[in-house]
Amino acid sequence: MATDSAHAPTSGSTAASGTRPADTRRTGAPGTRRARNRDNVAAYIFLSPWLLGFIGLTLGPMLISLYLAFTDYNLFRAPVWTGMDNLTRMAGDDRFWGSVRITLVYVLVGTPIKLAAALAVAMLLNYRARGTGFFRSAFYAPSLIGASVSIALVWRAMFSTDGPVDGTLSFFGINLGGWLGNPSLIMPMMILLAVWQFGAPMVIFLAGLKGVPAELYEAASVDGARAWRKFVSVTVPMLSPVIFFNLLLEMINAFQIFASAYIIGSGTGGPGGATNFYTVYLYARAFQDRQMGYASAMAWVLLLAVGVLAFVLFRTSKSWVHYAGDSK
Amino acid sequence: MFRTLSHRTLTGVAALAVSGLALTGCGGGGGEPAALETDEAITLNYTFWGNDDRAGRYTEAIAAFEDEYPNITINETFSDYPSYWEKRQTEAAGGGLPDVMQFDFTYLREYADNGLLLNLEDYFGSGITTDDIDESLLVTGQLDDGTYAIPTGYSAWSVFQNPGLLAEVGVEPYEGGTSWDDYDAYMASVTEAGGGSVWGGTDYTQRIQDLELELRQDGRELFTEEGELNFTQEELVEHWQKGQDNRDDVTIPQSRLEEINPVSGFGSSLTTSEMSWSNFLGGYLGDSGAEEITIVAPPTSAPDVKDLYRKVGLMQAASATTEHPAEAAAFVDFLINSPEVGEIFGATLGIPASSTQLEGANLEGPDKAVQDYLDSISDRLGEAPAAPVSGYGSIEQTFWTLGKSIGLGAITPEDAAKQFFDEAAVTLGN
Repeated sequence: MATDSAHAPTSGSTAASGTRPADTRRTGAPGTRRARNRDNVAAYIFLSPWLLGFIGLTLGPMLISLYLAFTDYNLFRAPVWTGMDNLTRMAGDDRFWGSVRITLVYVLVGTPIKLAAALAVAMLLNYRARGTGFFRSAFYAPSLIGASVSIALVWRAMFSTDGPVDGTLSFFGINLGGWLGNPSLIMPMMILLAVWQFGAPMVIFLAGLKGVPAELYEAASVDGARAWRKFVSVTVPMLSPVIFFNLLLEMINAFQIFASAYIIGSGTGGPGGATNFYTVYLYARAFQDRQMGYASAMAWVLLLAVGVLAFVLFRTSKSWVHYAGDSK
Repeated sequence: MFRTLSHRTLTGVAALAVSGLALTGCGGGGGEPAALETDEAITLNYTFWGNDDRAGRYTEAIAAFEDEYPNITINETFSDYPSYWEKRQTEAAGGGLPDVMQFDFTYLREYADNGLLLNLEDYFGSGITTDDIDESLLVTGQLDDGTYAIPTGYSAWSVFQNPGLLAEVGVEPYEGGTSWDDYDAYMASVTEAGGGSVWGGTDYTQRIQDLELELRQDGRELFTEEGELNFTQEELVEHWQKGQDNRDDVTIPQSRLEEINPVSGFGSSLTTSEMSWSNFLGGYLGDSGAEEITIVAPPTSAPDVKDLYRKVGLMQAASATTEHPAEAAAFVDFLINSPEVGEIFGATLGIPASSTQLEGANLEGPDKAVQDYLDSISDRLGEAPAAPVSGYGSIEQTFWTLGKSIGLGAITPEDAAKQFFDEAAVTLGN
């Protein structure tokens, strides 16, 4: 490197550069190649922990699970190739479709509500007022602990018969009873748990709001725009990249729901299959029923489904996401 | 940032798969039978499911074992029942089962047929004494070619009642062993007197044990000798429909039970009765805090039929891949036969199967009540069913989950029965 750079027109980036002067290339070719190789080796050595992890813990297992998706594998005996059996069985599996249905409801209803709440609170916190720092932390806190086992247990207790929620509602004359044992109230309860963790998208929205130039609002005011008009015509378009980012992230996150559903539903998808989310069902198939082949197939179906949804989101984003500096 | 679920889930699932692939087919014979002559320091891993109460007893029992065998150290771990089996499944796939395990009759065939358990018969007479173990119980651990687990004790299906709670609502206890109508009427009168805070019992049709009991009263078993379901989908629909009147007006609402899960209605002192295995008495006393719990015979439609049976619940087994099979066998023997262990556990692992241990147990109090109950139903005790089919654990769970869903009105008995038969077909490999 040192000898090489002495000949180079600009020091530093020469080793990797392909546009060096001809004489250097001729006289210093062997040394350059060696240096380049050395650099490559160094790069791979630095990369190796990640590479090993990626190949050993992610890529390899993924490929094997792809293989297992087409087998009958009970953990105890070698997998037996069954072709498309797992997929055809899935197509006729009522519990599978039930889990797809409730997972979609959760994602499609819960995510927009959560983002709306995050944006609303972010806009409130965007005002300069005393104590905003405290409120930012306070609103962010649930998203740090929300996925934990203890919160799921607290949620169970809160929504039981005569628990705080039932008690409060009864006080106002709304007698729903406990939500926890009621299959039709479990979903609102799960969505509330998700919405309550709006802290992470809120912080991202806040950052986005800070980036909206104040002169746009001033210009809008000059044109006579009121608050709602400003929100629709300035805030939302300017925030659209952030909204898109949050939407994608939260949607994928929502598909991941597991720990809280597993605990609230006692691991069996209860009550009455109402917490039998996709991942809960996948887990039950894999580790309770030892149907690893079926579970692997489910995992791949989910991967593909989320991939397709993300793709669709990206395609539609072109029509509603505006990046600052776009020539359009 | 974009950690997708699929990624993580797949990683987990597939990591297991890798180890499974690499290690399937291992296991098998176990070692040479040998007396314990080594002084070499050895550590054995032992695991069980249960609560703190049981954990305390095991710690005592292990200390006693280590006193007797100073060169052996036992490492104990425990968890609750469902996660216990989730862990064992993955360990089994990876070839890393603990040396010795508390085992369940339900899973015996599944594990033994796959070569995961040590054939303890190799140590009979040289490490394991079987002379004092009740022969009819010992054979429950036997499969075609060996003995893979030894029962700690036995229990029987029974009706538990809470006399304190009954006195509160002012209803006479169910006398036991009479008709189903009698029992239903008893539950109804409690529920009526309980005024919405105490119920007479739980919908018993949601447990597969209840179906088994009714089938046995009819002279049948749950499974055929070939290991197939021995009842029809229509019969199952009928079975679940039969519970409808009770579910409507009598038994504790399922939504309430979902809230108190994992404790049962009886354990929460919300019902005055519940049917379960007789060794649950200790657990019920602990859960409910009741001063006294009584135990009587389940209802019957055929008083002269031997519908009940001595159920082997807990067993002790060793891993086929243990490096110290002789020591593992010695520990199993100690847990099964030692009078000291009997004294420590009483009847909490069932009424001891080994007479030496039973003597040591010197049953009194609630333990004595369980034994008295078992003595009292001796006329109704018939032959126990064969070792559960492979996958029975998951079938039993499915049955219960569907039964609960029916109670919530989330599924009709017809759809539930269809789902059960679909599931069973997959599990039983039809």
